[in-house]
Amino acid sequence: MANFIVRRLLTMLLTMFIVSIFIFALAEIAPGNVARNILGAFATPEQEASFREQLGLNQPLHIRYINWLVGSDWRASRLIGMPLTRIKKPGTDFYQWWAVDEDGTLVRWKLEEEDLIALRRQTDGTVEESLDNDRWQTDEEGVSRAWGVDTHNHAVMWEKGSGETYWMRAKAAGWWVEKSGGPRTYIPLQKGMLRGDPGQSVQTGRPVADTLARRIQNSAILAGIAFAIVMPLALVLGLIAGLNEGKPTDRILSVAGLITTSTPEFATGIFLILILASWLKLVPGATVFGSERAIFENPKMLILPVLTLTLIELGYVLRITRASMVEVMREPYIRTAFIKGLPYSRIVFKHAIRNALMAPITVIMLHVNWLIGGIVVVEAIFGFPGLGKYLYESALYKDIFAIEAGAMVMVFFAVGTQLVADIVYTFLNPRIRYA
Amino acid sequence: MHKAIPDLKDQYEKGKMTRREFLRYASLLGMSLGAAQALIAGCAPPATEVPPTEVPPTPTTAPAVPTPTTVPAGPRRGGTLRVRGNIGRIDHPARFSWVANSNPARHVAEYLTLTDENNITHPYLLDSWEASDDLLTWTLNLRQGIKWNNGDDFVADDVVFTMEEWLDEEVGSSTLGLMSYLTEENIEKVNDHTITLHLDSPQIAVPEHLFHYPNQIMNYRTFEGDFIQAPVGTGPYTLDEYSEGERVVLKARADYWQTGADGQPLPYLDEMVYIDLGEEVSAWIAAFQGGEIDAISEPEATVFLALQDDPNANIMGTPTGQTRVLRMRVDKEPWTDNNVRMALKLCQDHEKILAMAHFGEGAPGADFHVAPVHPAYCERPIPPYDPDRARSLLEKAGYADGLTVEIAVASDWTDVVSYAEILKQDAAPAGFDIQINTMPVSAYWDLWTEVDLGVTPWTHRPLGTMVLSLAYTCDDEGEPVPWNETRWCDDEFTSLLTQAEGTLDVEERRQIMCQLEEIQYERGSIGIPYWQGIWMIAHKKVQNWKGHPTQYDLFNELWLEEA
Amino acid sequence: MRDIFSLVSASKVALAALAIVLFWIFVAIFAPVISPYDPLEQDSTAVNQGPSAKHLLGTDDLGRDLLARVIHGARVILVLAPVSVLCALLVGTTLGLSAGYSGGMVDEVVMRILDGIMAFPAILLYLIILFAVGASAINVVIAITIAGAPGIARLVRSLTLDIRTREYIAAAELRGENPFYIMFVEIFPNAWGPIIVDAMLRVGYAVFAIGTLGFLGLGLPPPAPDWGSMVARGRTYIWINPWAVLWPSLAISSLVVGLNLFADGLREEVTRYQ
Repeated sequence: MANFIVRRLLTMLLTMFIVSIFIFALAEIAPGNVARNILGAFATPEQEASFREQLGLNQPLHIRYINWLVGSDWRASRLIGMPLTRIKKPGTDFYQWWAVDEDGTLVRWKLEEEDLIALRRQTDGTVEESLDNDRWQTDEEGVSRAWGVDTHNHAVMWEKGSGETYWMRAKAAGWWVEKSGGPRTYIPLQKGMLRGDPGQSVQTGRPVADTLARRIQNSAILAGIAFAIVMPLALVLGLIAGLNEGKPTDRILSVAGLITTSTPEFATGIFLILILASWLKLVPGATVFGSERAIFENPKMLILPVLTLTLIELGYVLRITRASMVEVMREPYIRTAFIKGLPYSRIVFKHAIRNALMAPITVIMLHVNWLIGGIVVVEAIFGFPGLGKYLYESALYKDIFAIEAGAMVMVFFAVGTQLVADIVYTFLNPRIRYA
Repeated sequence: MHKAIPDLKDQYEKGKMTRREFLRYASLLGMSLGAAQALIAGCAPPATEVPPTEVPPTPTTAPAVPTPTTVPAGPRRGGTLRVRGNIGRIDHPARFSWVANSNPARHVAEYLTLTDENNITHPYLLDSWEASDDLLTWTLNLRQGIKWNNGDDFVADDVVFTMEEWLDEEVGSSTLGLMSYLTEENIEKVNDHTITLHLDSPQIAVPEHLFHYPNQIMNYRTFEGDFIQAPVGTGPYTLDEYSEGERVVLKARADYWQTGADGQPLPYLDEMVYIDLGEEVSAWIAAFQGGEIDAISEPEATVFLALQDDPNANIMGTPTGQTRVLRMRVDKEPWTDNNVRMALKLCQDHEKILAMAHFGEGAPGADFHVAPVHPAYCERPIPPYDPDRARSLLEKAGYADGLTVEIAVASDWTDVVSYAEILKQDAAPAGFDIQINTMPVSAYWDLWTEVDLGVTPWTHRPLGTMVLSLAYTCDDEGEPVPWNETRWCDDEFTSLLTQAEGTLDVEERRQIMCQLEEIQYERGSIGIPYWQGIWMIAHKKVQNWKGHPTQYDLFNELWLEEA
Repeated sequence: MRDIFSLVSASKVALAALAIVLFWIFVAIFAPVISPYDPLEQDSTAVNQGPSAKHLLGTDDLGRDLLARVIHGARVILVLAPVSVLCALLVGTTLGLSAGYSGGMVDEVVMRILDGIMAFPAILLYLIILFAVGASAINVVIAITIAGAPGIARLVRSLTLDIRTREYIAAAELRGENPFYIMFVEIFPNAWGPIIVDAMLRVGYAVFAIGTLGFLGLGLPPPAPDWGSMVARGRTYIWINPWAVLWPSLAISSLVVGLNLFADGLREEVTRYQ
């Protein structure tokens, strides 16, 4: 058994690895590259090049993939010759990267004319400036270079006298500002996806991880409640329909299940809002997050989103359960049980249900994929600040790091539930165990 | 008293100017509202007098604002106001490119002046201002005793610092184009509470410009280019939380400089929360109907339609100079040719577009960017829908076989999409094949200055000259100013505009406006389909609720009735 | 083909479902004939109206006839959905046949990659793809192809693994037929039945997916009368004109119900037949 689980885990890791490459490749090398998407079509080539450099987009694909997956700080740390650390700017959610000096003080640098200025962070949070030209290293050709951390969270290499020009984008005005004295090379500092830092959102300028954590929590609550309602309900209704095969109960349940499943959740959601919230005023029609904890303070607002998810998900599982039950009831051993004169309830509960549930449970776990799809639309309709809405809005905004991280998380959930499904299935069905 | 004031009074008495216009110009020139009203109190109302109800109540003392408006039952303190808003990423206030950016922030950081819902501008962080006779020298007297929310004193250095940020090319503020008459060297700090501006060209609208939404005053000691990281302001609230796409939480501060009707410092509310409900208006409407939010900032026409009969809704409608601009980039084929631009303009059936895209709520436009609500508006006929002439113009431009163009619109602005669809149908007989390229709002704002043909929303500004200088002028080197999205440069237009900005006499200025409008209509780069009526929607329990033509949320004096 | 019809006529459910599907196909083919108006024609005098004698289903916010738009919307969806599934079939079948027939490394690599793609929730895949390439009719087809092909490939592979062991395949190999011949002429026709049932279900999913994409603003650009986009647009006016949302929603669900039931009926008959 352990062997089996380990093997499945390894397969899952392999799948996630392929998924990560897929997501990364799609987002990074898509036609109309990231820089173009952000900059608009009319930036000059120099501006684009400068921007790409600052984002580290000019580096080879595999380097960027490694940066994204496991971070760039350890590589930069070797070049700078000091350990690097990430702290939160006091009182804000914004991260800052600093190098750690031998005596433990945090330090960053800036270039002024030909002088390297060290910015040392004091214990009280203020910064002291001092000349630090000892860091320059001169090679045989007489070019002086220095590696350091700049004030925009890059590891950079300055070159004395090169006066590299670079471009800053003044976003609102949609125009560009040329500056000189820029560094020669940039390494944007990040810890990497696997170490909990998938990068900075283009849209908000904040670390993706912080926002994502909140959004996942919200979505987990929504999807969890929906799952906890849909699954027992669908299984029970499916079993009832299956036991009454061909009778009116079965017909009604099957047809109703089919119709709700075939009606897109964006249509049901809108009509539920119109009828239940707006006309009848029974339940709140939108999810308003006046605070982080709104979901606990006013749980009623979850009713309509959960109902919408229930309607769309119910029918599918119901139909599978029904089919499975019908099939089991036709099995020879059930027929034998009937011939032996065992009581109906005993046959159903002791023999049929256990076998009938096997297929649906696997399907249910696979169905988590669908549930995740459902929350994207449902969150959009109800203004629910969850993972689905985050992904949708990131996709619309082409917010590359946000969409990469969000997608990885979603796929991880999907693959994880499949793994659980496999394990549960082998427990329920000894015949295929270890296969 | 400014020497032009008697002239203004004369004009008013002769009926050339409405009471409201008189009060506006008097206050523009530094006269307090009370004094201005006193000046004309005895005058016979001119023929074109607006109903007196539209004039704000006379405050008992000068200076005009911020005296508290009298509130009938006495305001109740406490409570939280929940407002639907767009919570986008902001950093430098001077770089705000839409009003929604400024609305949560304007309760933390403030402006030197305030243009109220009647289009009248008052001193705000200023105590008063004085303009020289030639309108070239403006002295700004700062209000004393104001504290930043970190305890610092508000002084002239703050204002000088902030103004330098506006004018710094590296910051890239739209104010740079708006206040092109000012350079960093010409801001003179006289003392800790006095600043003198030496303008390059005469300008009457300096006080209005100071209320332009990116012009929030920053603390020179703390501000480092990102307001969220150091939210220090003089306003009545402090920034407690700013989560892009989710919410902004603002907490009342105890030592705000303005006092309410009860003699205590404003604000009456304990807290304000802006909540981002995404772009789904159905969620906004449902949240309002369900009582989960108290107000809707920047509602669209569809929200108005859904809520207009709601017994709990208090809807303030305002005619504005807010519009959807059909903008054609004159540096890109085929829009380099004025015949093509004119042809497309002629394909608009203005009245029909207003009726269908904006449900008749507003006024038809006439393809120049001056609205009937602007004081010096020169009335011109609404251009008729004329596909035949459009077709011949296209032929003249060498597109006898028709012309396929792509128009960029943001899919969430439903009226813009409708406008594009109507245009597509009505332009077909003229030979245009319009492909509609829809994109999310965020993508459009990322590209708005870049697309060849698109529809850009422009907010209301109190004076007609303001938006013209912001969007249709070029600098001395012939480079378009930052928000000149169509890259249209016209020397005659620019010089006439400069002249208008220095002309006080409304009739005289109207004459110049006529020429400006003529030029923009004949060879400009834009079509104006309609001027939007806009609304501010709040629950009835929100007291002191007012509309504002620029959709600025001026919520300092709101209070909540016990529900 | 005759087989399929005899199969279908044996099941009442499949017959009813077929009727629904055929109804929409009929509507799509004869759209210009049966449509009372041009679906793009605006009428400023009849905006946001409920059903009336003049406009049987009412009008939308630009005064366009909803019946005409729903009818022409059938054309859009009944071209896009089957085309998407056909593309997915083409890609999926090729991959599945090659993986199943070749076995070994090819099989391993292809299947691992397809597993990776299958791990994505479909809507996420659409979002990412459209994020990368932008929304248009062709890109919608591409997105649905990428999302659908792995499932088809998996099915085809398992069928191939089974058929590969049959004697006639060994015979063909002995004859020295080339692998393509064996895959497409010997194996594929024998795997046809389950693939068709699967494809039918997939057309249903595709209709649903195209609707969802339209709703999310990733469908066809306006003024195309695609059902999802009609719902997306109508929902902002739903408080004053629910009809503009109701009809396209009903159209989507009826077509999806029809396609799913048809696939069900087909599957039952196929299993019984075997």
